[in-house]
Amino acid sequence: MNINTGFSTVTKLLLLAVSLFATPAFAHTETGVAGGLISGFLHPIYGLDHLVAMVAVGLWGAQLGKPAIWLLPITFPLVMAFGGVLGVAGFPLPAIEMGIALSALVLGIMVLFSARPPLALAALIVGFFAVFHGYAHGAELPGAANPLAYGVGFVISTGLLHLAGIGLGVLTRWPLGTQAIRGLGGMIAALGVYFSAASAGWM
Amino acid sequence: MQHPMRLTSLTAMRRLTVVLCLLQPGWAHAHLVSTRFGEYYAGLLHPVTTLTHLVPWLALGLLAGLQSAPQSRHTLLLFPLAVLLGSALGSLLPPQHWLDVINLLSFLLLGGLVLLARPLPVAAYCGLILATGISHGYANGMPELYGKNLGLYLAGVTTAAYLLVTVLTATSRQLITRPSWGIIAVRAGGSWIAAIGMMFLAFNVLIAPAAP
Repeated sequence: MNINTGFSTVTKLLLLAVSLFATPAFAHTETGVAGGLISGFLHPIYGLDHLVAMVAVGLWGAQLGKPAIWLLPITFPLVMAFGGVLGVAGFPLPAIEMGIALSALVLGIMVLFSARPPLALAALIVGFFAVFHGYAHGAELPGAANPLAYGVGFVISTGLLHLAGIGLGVLTRWPLGTQAIRGLGGMIAALGVYFSAASAGWM
Repeated sequence: MQHPMRLTSLTAMRRLTVVLCLLQPGWAHAHLVSTRFGEYYAGLLHPVTTLTHLVPWLALGLLAGLQSAPQSRHTLLLFPLAVLLGSALGSLLPPQHWLDVINLLSFLLLGGLVLLARPLPVAAYCGLILATGISHGYANGMPELYGKNLGLYLAGVTTAAYLLVTVLTATSRQLITRPSWGIIAVRAGGSWIAAIGMMFLAFNVLIAPAAP
């Protein structure tokens, strides 16, 4: 037997075997319902500006107590969806990134100082910023692998981030916990300053 | 007599074929779900693997839990029957695309009603359940199965409707009666569903028709 032929056959065999284990190449990194759901779910979590603002909503709700603690998480998704509709429609809303950055700054300050404005004003502040967050998510929706699954994913994710904030807000029952929550608010506000400066092109 | 090199090549090809076959094994099923009762499972999975049906049905189950006990019980009978009727009509009659818009609006309507958490008058509630069931059932119709195993498929869709609405109604009633935060969780669920519906409706009205 010719040794060269043997090597050649083994090489071909190995190449064929390796090619059988190739992973598919997708034009879009996520596919189908699961892909849309995952990308929607991760969108608010991977964006630190979204993440801290959503947690701040929950923290502030916990500080304000009833009825804000349940009113804010229930009304937020609807106002956010309104922003989402503007994003889907491609409505030219100015300074989206700045709006999101300012939401972290303003909501962080509210938590830092444990501000207690009238409920209507608190809802107005949260609702105003919800439009910017919704717009950013909604603008991505038409390009998603599955737009409905994407919407389901990001609404659930946003709700769970609020819940995380409310859960952390339980600490406000203890004096030391109250200080810790206010400290978290300060950190969120500081991040808001950074996001705002970055959005303005200063960094 | 064959050339030795050709023999080696043939042996290698045979071995390669064996290796390729080993790398592509298929599942061996003791019970063939794709035959006999296959269409039943297809019907069972169709609504629960389609978010356009699953999400509004989730809202409907939550809404049923918010009604009085007799009205909740009516849902368990009315909704599966309405879905059966709708899916039978959808399998026998031509597609009605306007019903897709109605189904999208059901996200908003049912989600909004859960958010409000108000008991509805019996007639209005039963009408809503019947309309939702028939409309979503129609979209679950399978004309390709006409003259084949359509009955099995319809039984599957109806079972899915019954199981989903029963589990969700029971969960919703438990949530609103037991933990103090339960009613908030149910209303927040309604808010999320209405929000999803608002955006998906906008997508379908503004973007999808223009897509190539």
